[in-house]
Amino acid sequence: MTEAPLLEIDALRANVAGNEILTGLNLTIRPGEVHAIMGPNGSGKSTLANTLMGNPRYEVTGGEVRFLGDALDGMAPDERARRGLFLAFQYPVAVPGVTVVNFLRQAVNAVRGEEVPVREFRQELFQKMELLKVDRDFARRYLNDGFSGGEKKRAEMLQLAMLQPRMAVLDETDSGLDIDALRTVADGVNALMHENMGLLLITHYQRLLNYIKPQFVHVLIDGRIVRSGGPELAEELEESGYDTIEAAASTA
Amino acid sequence: MTSAPSTAASFLTTEASRALGEALGDGTAVAGLRASGAAALDGLAMPSPALDRPWKYVDPAALDLDGFTPPGTDSAAWDEALPAGALLLRDGATAGRGPSIDGLTLADFAETPDGALDRLGEAVAFDGDQLTALHYAFLRGGVLIQTKANAEIAEPVRLTREYSEAGTLATPHTLIVAGVNSRLTVIEEYRSGDEPLAVLPAVELLIGPGAVVNYTSLHRWGARTRVFAEQRAVTERDADVRSLSLVTGGRLVKSHITSSLEGRGSSSEMYGIAVGAGQEHVDFYTLQDHVAEDTRSDLLFKSALGEQSRAVYYGLTKVGLGARRADANQENRNLLLSRAAKADSDPVLEILTNDVTRVSHGATAGPVDEEELFYIQSRGLTREGAVGLLVRGFLGEPLDRSALREGVREELSGLVEAKLTALGSGT
Repeated sequence: MTEAPLLEIDALRANVAGNEILTGLNLTIRPGEVHAIMGPNGSGKSTLANTLMGNPRYEVTGGEVRFLGDALDGMAPDERARRGLFLAFQYPVAVPGVTVVNFLRQAVNAVRGEEVPVREFRQELFQKMELLKVDRDFARRYLNDGFSGGEKKRAEMLQLAMLQPRMAVLDETDSGLDIDALRTVADGVNALMHENMGLLLITHYQRLLNYIKPQFVHVLIDGRIVRSGGPELAEELEESGYDTIEAAASTA
Repeated sequence: MTSAPSTAASFLTTEASRALGEALGDGTAVAGLRASGAAALDGLAMPSPALDRPWKYVDPAALDLDGFTPPGTDSAAWDEALPAGALLLRDGATAGRGPSIDGLTLADFAETPDGALDRLGEAVAFDGDQLTALHYAFLRGGVLIQTKANAEIAEPVRLTREYSEAGTLATPHTLIVAGVNSRLTVIEEYRSGDEPLAVLPAVELLIGPGAVVNYTSLHRWGARTRVFAEQRAVTERDADVRSLSLVTGGRLVKSHITSSLEGRGSSSEMYGIAVGAGQEHVDFYTLQDHVAEDTRSDLLFKSALGEQSRAVYYGLTKVGLGARRADANQENRNLLLSRAAKADSDPVLEILTNDVTRVSHGATAGPVDEEELFYIQSRGLTREGAVGLLVRGFLGEPLDRSALREGVREELSGLVEAKLTALGSGT
């Protein structure tokens, strides 16, 4: 018998600013699985990420998303986070005046539902910073304020590491990273992944998948998944691009 | 001058000014300025919201001082022991003092020897308008803070002024004179009760060559206090002045804050923080006046406004003909925490030389950003918690940049916290 799914997306439709972007998307992720959703610009990748996390700017118009068996519709983003869902943002927002350490402490307390003792928290933070090869000075800087592209992505991974979600969605985490930074980030994610956790990589390029290996690859075109397969599908896309699949999908 | 409403109403007369001076037994410097202020009362107009740009958003009724009486002349009951470098005044009378510190003069004007106040009135003139004339004519509670050359005063000087006499005009004056290459931090705290009070504070900062002065004013006024404050720093060569104005209470708190960079290579940093609630009106006019070459100024004023409060910021950066290679930055940010709150922001540049290193300015006003809220909420904080974190971060930035020592920073952030908690903004 297969394990109960972590995430079930069932015929999901979503609008942003009145335009329908997701047009009936289906996807099921079980514990221990790594999935990749690949798609060209405008196919709905970021809409999917934002909708899963409950961004109020995105409106669900049909279908359902269940996380650990519960429907997410109408649930605030913080409630989703406390249940173990995590989104690594493509464009993390700068929060001047709030240091990384202060922010992480509040987030960790909120998600775990208890005050983690300062000593314990610091030990854990330093350990995770080492894992992600992040300098300790990082903790005292304002969150994402004046960060380079690579620093922002590392800060996202540090949050992932500290919050220990059941299900992590990585939205274009490879963008803006040079190859060394990509390798560090990927090593970190691989080290954090475990058999009870699910991972969804959302990406335009196959590059990231050389370092974080998915068992399942899906192609997103015009707001729905048009093809699913194993890692070989990503390689096919790398060779032939999205045009062939897009053409096949539109005549299907 | 214009036909602005004549104040100097009934009780605030030339005769009353003279009587106050006699009762207090003025020294030469104070007596001279008092007489000048009194003599100028009739010739000077009240500032006009219609005609004077810095006064544009002030309710003219707030300038009506009719019925207010001159400061009292009673001495105060002596307070318990205070720490070194602390001075407490109640209704303008010295009420407590800590042990003295080497290299530092901290004294009521009345206690200073002849000649010590020679520079009184140098930075804030008596004839600016009727309010400055009133300030000098009814001056009560002057304090001199002076450092000797090369003195480094490690502890912050704490000057606390409390007012409780209803219906009076309060006229605190703080004269800071920093000797060559000296280091000084001053924290001036203002408090008043719930009775109506009008306050005309003046703060003069005369920063000697190479001296570094950090001046913080804490405006913790009562709900029916209106304040028209004048603060002006004048720097000599290579001097640095840093100021922070924190406003957490008062019906109307209007501050004019100026740094005149008259010495070559001198610099000024100005910070401001206001948390508004109820009907409070916080009004800042700032002037970064670059006079000499190689001068640098930076400014960051931030307001978080709840309920029906309003903030006004009008800031001027002036780069004079002689201020070659000036470097100036000016930034005002306002966070609206309710639909009824309001902010007006107007940063202005006036540049007379084309040889500047940088002159920049920026202003924003708006509610908490929804994308920022979503980001923080996605990490598990409730919406209320996320708003709270954003507001505290927003106001924390000028606090951080004020570079106050840790204990003082905590104390100030506690004042902000108390006000925000009362507003019910986040946890």
